[in-house]
Amino acid sequence: MTAALEISNLSTEIKLSRSTVHAVGNVGLTINAGETLGLVGESGSGKSMLGLSVLGLLPNGGHITGGSIKIEGQELVGLPEKELRKLRGDRVAMIFQDSLSSLNPTKTIGQQVAEPVRLHRDVTQREAMERVLEVLDLVGLPKPKERLADFPHQLSGGLRQRVMIAIALACDPRVLLADEPTTALDVTIQAQILRLLDDLEQRLGMATLLVTHDMGVVAGRANRINVMYAGRIVESAPTELLFSSMRHPYTQALLGSIPRLEQDNTKRLLSIPGLPPDLTNPPTGCRFAARCRFATEQCLQQEPPLTGDAQHAFACWNPVDGPAELTESVAHATRAPVQAARAGLGDSPSITISGPGVTQNGIKPLLEIVNVVREYPITAGFLRRQVNSVKAVSDVTLTIHSGESFGLVGESGCGKTSLGKLIVGIEKPDSGHIRLAGEDVFSYRGTKLRKARRDLQMMFQDPFGSLDPRMRVNAILQEPLQIQNIGSQRERDEKVRGILDDVGLPAAALERYPHEFSGGQRQRVALARALMLEPKVMVADEPVSALDVSIRSQVLNLMKRLQIERDMASVVISHDLAVVKYLADRIGVMYLGKLVELGSGDDIYARPAHPYTQALIKTIPVPDPAVEKAKTEVGIRGELPSPIDPPSGCRFRTRCPLAQQICSEVEPPLRRFGGEHLAACHFPLQTPEPDAESSLTTAG
Amino acid sequence: MTLGVTMITFALLHALPGNLGRDLIANPKATPQAIAQFDRQNGLTGSIWAQYWKFLDKLLHGNLGFSFRLDRSVDSLLATDLPRDLVLGGISLFLSLVIAIPMGIAQAVKRNSVADYAGTAVSFILYSMPQYAAALILIQLLSITFKIFPSEAPGGSWLNMLEHPAGLVLPIGSLTLVSYAYFSRYMRSSAIDTLAQDYIRTARAKGLPERLVLLRHLLRNSVLTVVTLIGVSVPSIITGTLITEQVFNLPGAGLEYFNAAVNSDYEVMLGITVLVGVVTVLGNLLADIAYAMLDPRIRY
Repeated sequence: MTAALEISNLSTEIKLSRSTVHAVGNVGLTINAGETLGLVGESGSGKSMLGLSVLGLLPNGGHITGGSIKIEGQELVGLPEKELRKLRGDRVAMIFQDSLSSLNPTKTIGQQVAEPVRLHRDVTQREAMERVLEVLDLVGLPKPKERLADFPHQLSGGLRQRVMIAIALACDPRVLLADEPTTALDVTIQAQILRLLDDLEQRLGMATLLVTHDMGVVAGRANRINVMYAGRIVESAPTELLFSSMRHPYTQALLGSIPRLEQDNTKRLLSIPGLPPDLTNPPTGCRFAARCRFATEQCLQQEPPLTGDAQHAFACWNPVDGPAELTESVAHATRAPVQAARAGLGDSPSITISGPGVTQNGIKPLLEIVNVVREYPITAGFLRRQVNSVKAVSDVTLTIHSGESFGLVGESGCGKTSLGKLIVGIEKPDSGHIRLAGEDVFSYRGTKLRKARRDLQMMFQDPFGSLDPRMRVNAILQEPLQIQNIGSQRERDEKVRGILDDVGLPAAALERYPHEFSGGQRQRVALARALMLEPKVMVADEPVSALDVSIRSQVLNLMKRLQIERDMASVVISHDLAVVKYLADRIGVMYLGKLVELGSGDDIYARPAHPYTQALIKTIPVPDPAVEKAKTEVGIRGELPSPIDPPSGCRFRTRCPLAQQICSEVEPPLRRFGGEHLAACHFPLQTPEPDAESSLTTAG
Repeated sequence: MTLGVTMITFALLHALPGNLGRDLIANPKATPQAIAQFDRQNGLTGSIWAQYWKFLDKLLHGNLGFSFRLDRSVDSLLATDLPRDLVLGGISLFLSLVIAIPMGIAQAVKRNSVADYAGTAVSFILYSMPQYAAALILIQLLSITFKIFPSEAPGGSWLNMLEHPAGLVLPIGSLTLVSYAYFSRYMRSSAIDTLAQDYIRTARAKGLPERLVLLRHLLRNSVLTVVTLIGVSVPSIITGTLITEQVFNLPGAGLEYFNAAVNSDYEVMLGITVLVGVVTVLGNLLADIAYAMLDPRIRY
């Protein structure tokens, strides 16, 4: 049987004005019909370029320098553009990452899905439309007939991605290239889309190349996994074998550096030091050698060939055997401030409560967020009359103690970033109070407000957009001190150097501009900037989600260390529960502007009381094939309702499997489930404490 | 907006030295009594506010005032000038877009090729050339050396102009060249941005031939950014033709305004300024409407 897609010895280069990027080198892979091959790698590893090579759609200056690509036996390399065009969208189709930018904003989805059908099939307009409805139905777009005239921006991210898939499937392709098909989506939607891809592949018998950076995504659905590093395939094995007994140190380190839910968060994460090599001038020898723990002289001199049998091949001189210990043996130092605070309160858990509105005996909470509401007005018409509002944060009450690390999780649009902005005082609540050490932050004016801002700092998600590109690192780090008028120039210089050292950047970094750094280094600069004023509270909004997996654990370890060393409370905001659980002592789960559950990391992970929390945990792709394959349900059905007009009663009821009449009528209050564990649900998955309700209402 | 324009213009013109009555009678021996009488007859008495109010009242009734120097109402003046300007400016605007949009896209597709550099050079030469230079070169070449087109534009009403199209070729040509340079530069950079968009890659991945990718997916999205520019350049249909009018001896609003400014003919200046203000607002409004029609994401 000929393979649906067979690539052998493929090399691709991209010519730039002064140099050449050797994007893909000597790559071979085979996918049979009905199979999924997972291609895993970090950004810049050449995995997307491999996909684009197959389609013949390399960016300007890109071309295939050697090797062969065969689709059902037909050679594609060297095929004239006209012939190649006939194959594209017909026998080979591609799904791109970002559905918003990958769909034409000025054409209706009906037109866009019909386009390949009209192009490759000899059909009338009417027959094409029938086919469009058929595929839109196939990809699970509800009421496709009514959506035909919609424009892409009118659909949610999940539905748009379904449209993207429908375009790819419109002509029944034999080979489907999915380039990070779920990276831009929320976890709950990601689970739905991955399930759909699985289902389609089985029904339609296509060969799928699933390109991703996320080991969890491929664990449950790929038959085989190829790991790519710096343009080379470094390991290729059936999924189970790769996870259980990988041979390449990169695969081992990559899997080890992913924070996991069940992990002990007092231990350091395994991390890969350094950065991937520059592909315009790749090193001789093994490309991973510079970052490899096992590298020897041979690794630096000679490039290892792909060896092993057809079943399990790897390119390494000193192969490892199986996974590493999940964490390095070095534990983080214990968290002195929190321990001390807790110790002073005695052992009884009933006293160490720090839930909403409840103050700890004797110790004043550092930050109190009381019944905070933030709504963004929506205006319409000539006079900008307010017609409605986006309910970003609705009546959230929360207490954070000094030295504590608090985590906020939820899907995008749940209000977690808005809450973070309220905490640091960038935005003002519409009602409710935010008190820092007992004083309302927004009662301050002028100099006093400026002083208060010292104690509240924020670290932003995007290290590319949040640093001024025209300021040197030195100026970026000095600015907070200048604004706050702290210290003499000499003291400032000293402080900047000290912080730079703390975040692990060399002193030479001071004279450089942000664009000269990699993403991980930039996030270190952003962290240093937030720490310059020694804030009492630091809010980190998605601190690692823009970073590559191998860099992520470096930054996580750093943040963890700084949290412990400094007497500072931190609020970590992320959509990734594993990241939050690693960094935080206590976690709050938000859904549509409401805090639905609050508790320690273990409360949330091992004993979730709210059905939303449970579903969120279920949908997170785990880098473990056994766990992923055992998953039978998608977790949460449907999409996040609009925050403009949230459901009555419990806001989660529209997607909740346990919802009953009462859920739409009465909003559930937060109830106590032992210790600091609180959840707002009428039908919780754990048994609440009997007297919890009364104690809360009096305190609130 | 328009109200603001009239207010500022009115105030500025009143701040100018000179007194209409004294100037008009043009007699240094004019007695203050005579001037006062003239002012009274022509409604030039009262505070600046009262005068402004009177002007506004007339304006709302479609009366732009009366030019004492030309002994004609400003309305009738503009009624002959405006259509001529519209013919001239409108046709050249249309022509320059028809050429500039495909050229801009073609240059974007062939970016950094010899053809693109040549196109860029031509645009820059035209853009940096003073308008009269372009006009004079055209006259020298096509009218004096080769005697194909007359160098003088037909006078009279706009209908008369259209009846003698040969006379229009040179003035329209010289106007078109300059605005072509402007639009093609913007169109090129807009098309380059659009070419880098992900949906262009999606369109190619569908197997569309490049021509259809450009026609169906690039054209509309890249014209969007140029639409605003067109809106902003609408007033120049009226004002931007001064030099061309001068060179081709073609009286229009631009020339009229220039003469009025030299002769301190306030009423004409005020009238034309108000008109340009209105057209500017209208042009922007039209651009906004066109934008909303082209881009389904925009809703007002």
